[in-house]
Amino acid sequence: MHIPDGYLSPSTVLTSFALAVPLWVYGFKKLKQSLNEETMPLIGTLSALSFIIMMFNIPIPGGTSGHAVGATLIAILFNPWIGFISVSLVLLIQSIIFGDGGISALAVNSIGMAFIGSFVGYYIFKLLETKKYAPFIAGWSGIVASSFIIALILGIQPFWNEAGKPLYFPFDLKTTIPALVGSHILFFGIVEGIFTQLIYNTIRKKEWIKKESI
Amino acid sequence: MDKKRIYIILTILFILLPLGLLTDYSAWGEWDNEVYKQMIGYIPEGIKNAQTFAIIPDYGEGSIVMYYLSALIGGGMLFGFFYLLTKMTKNETN
Repeated sequence: MHIPDGYLSPSTVLTSFALAVPLWVYGFKKLKQSLNEETMPLIGTLSALSFIIMMFNIPIPGGTSGHAVGATLIAILFNPWIGFISVSLVLLIQSIIFGDGGISALAVNSIGMAFIGSFVGYYIFKLLETKKYAPFIAGWSGIVASSFIIALILGIQPFWNEAGKPLYFPFDLKTTIPALVGSHILFFGIVEGIFTQLIYNTIRKKEWIKKESI
Repeated sequence: MDKKRIYIILTILFILLPLGLLTDYSAWGEWDNEVYKQMIGYIPEGIKNAQTFAIIPDYGEGSIVMYYLSALIGGGMLFGFFYLLTKMTKNETN
């Protein structure tokens, strides 16, 4: 889902940054409110976990690969703004240092993977909180929603063309939606769900036992 | 929250990192420019002209050592950021 440079039209880039900058500023304030010596090691570890989990490229039938993101996990353990800012930061490092995802696409990638992943995952989790499998469904929903937003933005790029020849990403929604959303529903969403459930249980186990015994 | 367990998970995943290098498949849409030529007969202008800048391109382009190093750099930068921000926030409130 890491959109590279050159895939998005300049108007898409401008619009996405105009939308993302205020969200980053607000989210950063929220992060500062929650950040203290108690929470810092865990937020740092969860962000590092997001960075590392994205390095596990999983091949799927059809000749492509993908990975989990880890935004929902941070969103449900802290709050969605922290998930959004932490994963945006992961994407910034990936883009500048490793060329994974374009710098011009940072706003689109952050809105798709970090913002949507965090907020959709968070609200689905709130809806199912009493259920044991809530983190799995939340993680799955979060990354599937992310893939939908990325597919949507990629799929409108052929609109910018010269005599019918696309100038940027050349495939339209009929291709991007099944390819990206389909693969996340069937494969990467499951991986994200298992990852979210596993780490959530590991961290929250003691509190769970307490909650259940009441 | 039990922090010790998550450090163990992070360490285990770190050790297993080379598994992420096993596949040659690229992510959908993140293809080399040549792939566009094969698929649609040309490389779209924007994609052709894109300047990609990276200090360590593609996490070391398949080297296991560079892959480990990339994870250390990425993780280290993230921890460094949150550490400094915590210190700065603390000073502001004092």
